[in-house]
Formats: sequence, C-alpha cells, structure tokens
Amino acid sequence: MTTLAANLRDRTAIAAWTREHGVYLALLVLVVFNAIATPNFLTVDTVQLLFSQVPPVIIVSLGMALVIGTGGVDLSVGSIMAIASAVLAKFVTGGSPIGVAMLAAVAAGLLVGVFNGLVVAIARVQPIVATLGVLVAGRGIALVITGGALVELFVPVFKDIRLGKFLGIPYVMIVAALLAVAVSFLVRRTAFGYRLLAVGGNRRASVLAGLPVRRTLVVVYAISGTLAAVAGVIATARLRASDPSYIGLLMELTAITAVVVGGTSLTGGRVRILGTVTGAILIQLLETTLVSHNAPDSVARMVEALIIIAAVYIQRPARSSR
Amino acid sequence: MTTPVLAVTSASKRFAGVRALEDVSIELHAGSVHALVGENGAGKSTLIKLITGVYQLDSGSVRLRGEEVAFDSPRSAQRAGIATIYQEVHLAPQLSVARNFFLGREPTRFGSLDLKRMNRNSAEALRRYGIVADVKRPLGELGLGIQQMVAIARAVETDASVVIMDEPTSSLEPREVDLLLDLVAQLKAKDVAIVYVSHKLDEVFRACDTITVLRDGKLVSTGPTSELTRRQLISRMLGRDAAELDESGRTRLGRRELEDGEPVLRAEHLNRRLILEDVSVVVRPGEVVGLAGLLGSGRSETAKAIFGALPLDSGDISVDGKPLTHQTPASRIRQGVAMLPEDRKAEGLIPDMSIRDNIGLAALPQLTRSGLVSRKRVDDIVKTFMTRLRIKAASPLQRVSELSGGNQQKVLLARLLCLNPRVLLLDEPTRGIDVGAKAEVQALVAELAEKGMAVVLISSELEEVVEGSDSVVVLRDGAQLGRLVGDDITEDKIMDLIADAASEQIEASEQIEAEK
Amino acid sequence: MKARRRITVAATAAAAAVALTACSTGSNSGSTSDDSSAAPVATALGSANAGGVPAAITAAGGTELLTTAKPDGVSAQYGPMCKGSDLGIAKIDFTKDTIGWAQSEKEANPFRIASTKSQIEAAKAKGWKLLTTNAQSNVQQENTDIKGMIDKGAKAIIFSPINSTGLGDAIAYAKSKKVAMIPVDRNITGVQGCKDVGPQLGSDFVEQGRRAADAMIKATGGKAKLAILLGATGVNVTDDRTAGFLDQLKAKNASGIEVVFQQTGDFTREKGKSVTETMLRAHPDVNAIYAENDEMGLGALAALDDAGKSGTKNVHIVSIDGTKGAVQAIVDGNFDAVIESNPAFGPASQAALEAYVNGDGAPAVTITTDNQYDSSNAAEALSSGKAY
Repeated sequence: MTTLAANLRDRTAIAAWTREHGVYLALLVLVVFNAIATPNFLTVDTVQLLFSQVPPVIIVSLGMALVIGTGGVDLSVGSIMAIASAVLAKFVTGGSPIGVAMLAAVAAGLLVGVFNGLVVAIARVQPIVATLGVLVAGRGIALVITGGALVELFVPVFKDIRLGKFLGIPYVMIVAALLAVAVSFLVRRTAFGYRLLAVGGNRRASVLAGLPVRRTLVVVYAISGTLAAVAGVIATARLRASDPSYIGLLMELTAITAVVVGGTSLTGGRVRILGTVTGAILIQLLETTLVSHNAPDSVARMVEALIIIAAVYIQRPARSSR
Repeated sequence: MTTPVLAVTSASKRFAGVRALEDVSIELHAGSVHALVGENGAGKSTLIKLITGVYQLDSGSVRLRGEEVAFDSPRSAQRAGIATIYQEVHLAPQLSVARNFFLGREPTRFGSLDLKRMNRNSAEALRRYGIVADVKRPLGELGLGIQQMVAIARAVETDASVVIMDEPTSSLEPREVDLLLDLVAQLKAKDVAIVYVSHKLDEVFRACDTITVLRDGKLVSTGPTSELTRRQLISRMLGRDAAELDESGRTRLGRRELEDGEPVLRAEHLNRRLILEDVSVVVRPGEVVGLAGLLGSGRSETAKAIFGALPLDSGDISVDGKPLTHQTPASRIRQGVAMLPEDRKAEGLIPDMSIRDNIGLAALPQLTRSGLVSRKRVDDIVKTFMTRLRIKAASPLQRVSELSGGNQQKVLLARLLCLNPRVLLLDEPTRGIDVGAKAEVQALVAELAEKGMAVVLISSELEEVVEGSDSVVVLRDGAQLGRLVGDDITEDKIMDLIADAASEQIEASEQIEAEK
Repeated sequence: MKARRRITVAATAAAAAVALTACSTGSNSGSTSDDSSAAPVATALGSANAGGVPAAITAAGGTELLTTAKPDGVSAQYGPMCKGSDLGIAKIDFTKDTIGWAQSEKEANPFRIASTKSQIEAAKAKGWKLLTTNAQSNVQQENTDIKGMIDKGAKAIIFSPINSTGLGDAIAYAKSKKVAMIPVDRNITGVQGCKDVGPQLGSDFVEQGRRAADAMIKATGGKAKLAILLGATGVNVTDDRTAGFLDQLKAKNASGIEVVFQQTGDFTREKGKSVTETMLRAHPDVNAIYAENDEMGLGALAALDDAGKSGTKNVHIVSIDGTKGAVQAIVDGNFDAVIESNPAFGPASQAALEAYVNGDGAPAVTITTDNQYDSSNAAEALSSGKAY
C-alpha cells in the first residue's frame, strides 16, 4: 500500500518534472543526436542558419503562448502572416517607403487580432471557432490584396533582415529574443500579465474579482495578431517575395506545438515563455534534422504528429482525486 | 415490516480527508416515496452517487433486496434496476421521443430498427402514465416537464425497482410540477421505491411518505412525514433541534447599539424575473445584516445583484448616498463593494496561482504604477494580511490549491479586505472549513463591522446568521418575508416566518386541488 | 492544403510512351512510367512509337497514334476521331452561342493564371462568348460550376478537371443536354474514346522529367553531386517528373551524376528555400539542383544567393514550368535550363472544339507541345511573352 502510494507520488512527480523540463531535455537529446549523426552539424554556420530560420516560429509562438494562457487558441496566425505579407507587398509595389510598408503590415495584424479579440471576448464565440473563421477568410483576403500571385520584392533592407548579424547572431534572432524578453516581462511583471493568467485560470472568478476580463482578452488576441504580422514581415524578407498562398501555411499548428511542448497548459492559467522559445527551436531543429537526413515527407509528418501527441499527453491536466 | 428494497447502512465517504458523508443509513421500501432533504453540502448527492455506483463507499454497505451490492458504475446500478433522473434530462434531444424511450434497448426487425413498433409501444406506455406527447417528435422540442416524465417513464419501463429523482422539479413550471407529482403517485402504486430529493418543502409534504434530513454529511433524522411539522423540518435542515430551539433566544452577546447614521448600503426594490421580487437590504455603518432563507430562497442572488454579478430588471442601489449604475463587479468594486462568493473553487480561487497572486488580484489597480506591478507593495500587503488573518502556508508563493479550505477562504477574504471596501457581502463565509477557522472568520466579521464596515452575511446555518447579525432579512422563493431586528432575531422567529409562508402556499395549492 | 499545382504539357511524343497523366490513373503513375520507359529504353528510344499506344492514352480513350499532319503546338494525336454529331450534339453558332470555361484551382500561381488567360484571349480573338468559373480545388464545386454554365445556356464546356475522376455527374448531365465537353490539362480517364467526353488535350510529365535530365546532363557534362527538390507528396506530377528524370539518367548512363539528396519542397518557393538552406549545410558539395517546378527552383536560388553560391558556375539548376521568373534566371546566369509545362490550351482546345462540333472531327487525345528554354532562347522567350 505504501509502496503503491510512493510509486504514485513518484509518477506524479515525474510527470510534473517532464511537463516543466521535458522540452529542454528533448532539445539536448536532439542536439546530441545531430552532433553524432549529421555531417557538418557542430559549426557556427549551423547555429546561424537555425537562428535565421526559427525567428518567425518563435515570434508567432510567443503570441500563441499568451492566447493559450487565457485558455483560448489562435488559429488565425498563419493567415495573419499572409495578410501582413500581402499588405507589405502592396505598399512596397505602390511606392511607399519600406518603413511605412512594414508599419502598415504590422498594423494590419494588430487590426485582425483586435477583431479576433472582440469576437471572442464580446460576442463570446469560442476561440477555436472565431479564429478558424479568420484562418479561412484571412488567406483569401491576402490573395485579394496581391491579386493572387506571388509578388517578388526587391528591397535592400530585406537583405539586412535576411543576412545581417550582430556579433555573429542574425538580427532576426535578436529581434525574436528581445520580443521574448518583452513578453516574459509582460507576463511576470505587469498587471496585464496577472490578469491574463487569472482569466485563463478561472474566468468566472476573474469577473467576480473585478478584473477587466474582456479588455484583457482583446489585448491578448491583439498581441498575438501583431506578433504574427511581425513574423509575416520577416518571412517575406527571407523569401524576398510575398507569397500569400503559402506564407505561414500551417504555422498555427507549429506554434501550438511549440507552446504546448514548452510547458504551457492548454487549459490556461500557466504560460512558459522560455519553454515556448525552446519548443520553437526544438521543432525547427527537428525539421532540419529530418531534412538533413533525407527522411521522406511521410516519415517527417509522422514524427511531427508523434511529437504533438506526446506533448499534449504530457500536458494533460492531472487527474483529480475524485 | 417488509424487507426494504434498498438499504444503506452506516455509509461513510471522505474526499481528500474532508468528510462528505458519515455513518448515514436509510431504507427504501416498495411503494413508498422517500424524501431526502438538506442544504447544500449536506451530503444528499454524495449519498445518491454512492447508491448508484458513481462513488465507492469508504465504509458501510448497500443492500438490494437483502443482498449486498457494490456497483462499480452507474451502468451496473441501472442494470440492477436502480434508475436515476437528474435535473437535466440525460437523453438525446435530437432523437424522437420513441427513440429515446427505447434508447439502449431498441427493438429490431431483420437487423434494422423497428421504428413502427417503437412508436406504437412507446405511445401506449406513455398514455398509461397519462403523458400526452407525439412520440415521433424530437424530444428536445417538448417542454422540460414532459421530457422529465418521458425519462421517468422510460426508467420504469426498464423494470426499475428503485427510481431516484434528483431535484426533478427545479426547472419546471407549476403546472408541470403537478403532472410530475401525479406520475410519482402512479409509480408508487406500481410498487416502485422512490427517492425524492428536493428543497421545495411543499412538494416534499405533498408527495413523500418518509423524510430523511441530512446536515453536514450526517443523518439528522428520518421518519414518517405525518410525524413531522414543517416547522420541525425547517429547524432540522437549518441546524437546531426544535426542542433546543425553544430554549434559545438571541445568543450574540452585547449586541451593539448602532448610531442612526445614514445607511452605507441601500439596496431597494431589487427585481429580477423569476429570481428576485422586491427585495430590499439596507445596512448602516458597523451593521451586519443577515440574509436568511432556505436554499433557492434568493439569498445568494440578492448578494450577487448588489455586487453587479446578477443583472436586475429594476432596483435602486446606492453606497454612501451615491447611486450605483454599471451592473458589473468591476465597477462595484471601484465603488467600495466587495463580495465573497458562495462557491470558493468555482467563483473565487485561481487554482494555479500562488497565495500571493490570489490575494493581490482584485487590488491590482492600487498596486500598479503605469502598468507595472510593484512587487514590494504586493509583498507588503500580502504579508500584512497573511499575518492578520493567520493564513497558514509554507510561503506566500505556495499554490493556493494546496491549502486547506479554511486557509483558502482566508485568502479570498484577504483579497477583499485589501480593497478596503465600504460594503462587504459574505456568501457562506464558513462553509466547508474546520471549526477553528470558522471561529476565526466569525470573529473577523464582527471586528470588521465594529470598524464601521457595512456587512451582509449569508449562511445556511441559521445559528451563524442569528449570532452574527444585527438585523436579518428573511427570504423565501426570491421574495422578502420580513425583517427582524434586535431581540426579535431568533432562529425560532426566522423559521416561523419561513414555515408560515410555506404552509400558506400549501394551503393555497390544496385549495386549488379541492376546487378541481 | 497545398494546392496541387500544374499539370500539363505535351510530350514530344516521338520518344517512347506518352504517359498521359491524370491524377488518379488508377494505381500510380510511377508504375505507368516504369512500364512505358523501361522496355523501350532497353531497346532504343527512337523505336518506341512503332505503333504502341501508352496505357495512359488508352485510359483517356485513345486507341491509335495518328500519323496525319499535326497542327502547330501539337506533338502527338491519337484516334479515333470524335465527332459531336455522334453524340447528337448540334452545330454551334459561335457568333451567337456561348461556351463555358471551368478552371479547377484558384488563379494564384502563374500556371493557372496563364491557363485561364489563354482561354479568355483565344475566345476574344475568335469573337466567342465565354463564361468562366473557378472551382477552388473542390471537385463538387466543379460539378456544380459545369452544370450551372450548361443551365445558363453554354453549348460547350472546356474544362480543366481537378481530378481524372469525380466529374461523372457533370459529364452525364452534359451528355443528356447534348453539350460538348472538352477536358484539358489533366484528363478524364476510364472512358471510351469519344463516347463520354469529346476530344481531350493534355501533356506528359514523365517526358518533362526526361527532358530535364537531358538538360542536366548537358549542363554538368554528366558529372555532378545532385539534389532533387521534389514536388508535393502524393501528387502524380511529382511521381512522373521524378521517375522520368531518374529513368533518363539511367538510360543515358549518366552514372557521374550522383543523387545525394531528395526532399520535398511542396512546390512552394518558401519550402524550396528552407530545404535548400538545410541541404547546403549537410551537403556543401552539392553542385546541381533539379527542381520539379520553377517556384522551388527560385527558392533554391534565393538560398544559394544568401549563401553566396548563386550562378551556374557554382550550382547548376534545371527546373520545370517555364514561368517568367525562371526564364529570367536563365538570362541572369543562375539557371541552366527550364522545361516548359505549357498552360496555353486556349487556341488548341478551341480549335478542337470547332472541328468536333462543326467540322470533320478531332482526335480523341491530343498531346500539346512543350517548349524548352536555355541560354540560347531565354531572352527571346521573355521578350516575345512566351514565358508565362
């Protein structure tokens, strides 16, 4: 009886540890595997490449972490990337200065995010349904903006965004890291962060504690939309083109996986920023590893599916004693 | 004396160390309706769930026709002939009445559903019970009462020998209640043993043969309806033995003289269709006003309405003479009203957060400068209140869900107190917490009032209301029965008020019956 | 939901077998092309068309290779000859009657844009009245679109099937209303020549793969470390272009070309770029890339550019499609060759329609001609507007 109890305690403890730290362990394992099995892996180039590919994923995942922290989900991030990219292309081809074009693109993301937030908070539509609508409609809007086809963009600044480095670290990674620090600060130190976690932890109690629940939700979705738009701008610069049919495609799934793998609870009330960043790096590195090893597409998809299932299993709510 | 169909002996059940049911025994007999009454948390639903296999007994036994049984799931209880009807009908609303009637035991013909037979047989069966319904219509399109009765008829048709009804009338119209009670009488005639859980006393007296009263997980009394007066029943539910009550008067010592100052809280003529009817609560500085009444009397709803959490159709609420406008908790908090919600877990705590964050939550605007939370000010205030309320925890950073009920309640009180409110609404401040913590909380309430706060106190324990209040508003069915002050505040008088109103209503309904 | 892209183009059917592709040519086109290429390759390429009709052509209703004179832009024709009157289709007065164009996928890539544009411009040139629809990759929508245009009075429908099957509903409806049906691009399979639909026009993806291999051998001198950017997984075009390419390397004994990397780029520029970036780390010695469409090739070029390795002197690139961007890359010295997948079915399909309903009939299956661009003709293709 006591051994069983001890055993159970151990298992709960292991589950809790895995939930919090599993992502770091998994990243370590993957790095070790690559060091042994992938040619030319342990080089500065490899890290630089990873850090130039992963920032859009990190940036979108940061916003997603906040939304999931409120107990919601934002399926529209990929389409918002496409909208931002399309708006960017429209302004650049229309002759606007690149700074204006980028601001317009980010503002478009903010706008869509606010719309999501209003639908979720005021109309009280379930987040998954509200943002699914934008997932579908958003890409259509992006296609309408560019007239459908890929638009090549020749903007000198894009080269800096793609290739610029500071002390060997790509600019885009520095941007992603700064955003991660900012979001982490937001969650830990601001009243908004408290409210976000409270709403995710117990919405009814938050209302009765007098918190501005609706405003909090609108702001959270607005942040998610804005960050997705920033990621859309970076992805556009990386490609030197706006391709609204494909940019950010399936990004919502990648971001949700990164967030959940990183230890944020899908039921809300808990947000892990460092875990999210690590989760994003883990997923990008996993994809890179599979590509490096010439894994067939079908295998890659199965591996990704397994990771998602494992992450969700680990993050499942502890069974209550009743 | 016949053998009971179902006998529960010395049943006990604890959840995480908290007593839910202790040493409770009841017997159900064929052709008899057995009422199970008690306030929230008395143990009614725990007892039902033990019988129907949702929970397993810690100790004690359940015997069905003399044989000991231990159901591992509601399904196996159902197979043994124990059917349960819940408030919400647990059937498939999209399917036809006939399909629902045969759900899980559909007749087939050549491997496919025999719809004709289902329609014919279900229509016949329902007619036998006096239920008029088009069996081909989707169940969800019928009235709730009819749905409820289809569920009951279905249960009986599956050869149930025990039918448990858990507050079956809570969402029914009066006319539907009559139909349902008729059906109960028919079941009785068919020798079914019935458990009837309700907090509506008139129904209990109309329909039940035996009444068992539970309180705090313990059996208070069980006996024939004919040997119990309404007055006695109310007193047993609310916490004092009738005999003992006759002796007791006002127990709170040194009830203070209150200056006739302007009331802090004026909540007058509160109306909300079907929930509140012209309820008024006025609290002067330093006064504790108790709201007394049975479950469902509108006591919690009154507090919620004052707090802005229950939208009103009409009513005037002012604090310190200033009328309150926006019906939201956030604006009420800004205007000096704070509420301790009835359901600590569902409406109060943020389980994943620390004690510290739970306390600081409502006062965030005061603890924040240009969006940034001042850690120092939060820590100071948390420290102050943890000491003052004697919250026992490893550290302020401990997760609140790891605390005992009493300490959790103190955390919520601390959350309210750091708002420095003018009006404090306390809904069941001592429910589910241990004796020591209970005394501490009660003393704290008295202390807060002495300092000039206006307090509204709600408790299902009449004793607590009587001892802790300077005046008491008595409610029943969302309406105000009376207001007691000073020496008039006794458990006796409160229960008289409730019982009189109850019997008046019963007389009225009996009269209607007679006129038919 | 990666939109399935292109499909078309004709084969220089001189060689071996023409695997007329259609999305669900039953089993899989891989085996089709194996059958069609393996045997003839063993003997000699030139002799393959001695009279055999490839299975894919048979599936589309073609029974015999026609040796009559071919019009411009057509590389092969297969009988029998279809006549609209055989199905009771009345002659069309193109000055008064309308016809319909049903596009399968949204016009969001150069191929689809060019394909629709070709129909509209050809109709305009002839003064025909043309209704147009787009099924947005939804086969039910395409059924509805086609029936809708018939109900609006269209006397003939030229359509690009989403799938080689699944349009039975629309086809049956057209037959009952005596409306001519001309499939282009992907073909309708499992039909009897001229009995269910009118003349079909299509292209040969296996052949495109073979020609890409020839171009690659020429560009690299038969010696290279090669990476292949595959199209979207599970799509016929991908399988055909891969099989044709690899078979041709074998057939030409190009053992000096070593395939060190194969990975899907989903037919998109973005994936083409990121996969190439990763590939360049793991295989820095790769000096040739075969991209199964232009977009992935341009993505690969972007990655090479970022790595300072663009230009055919560093890495050779051959891709398929013939879009402006890729042809421009030849001019810029970054691509070696581009095999065209011609989307311009407008003139050929409308000529076939006219012959089918008003004239002497049209062949059951027509394979249109694909161009091929390299440094010798790329600039001209851009200035003449041939590159789409």
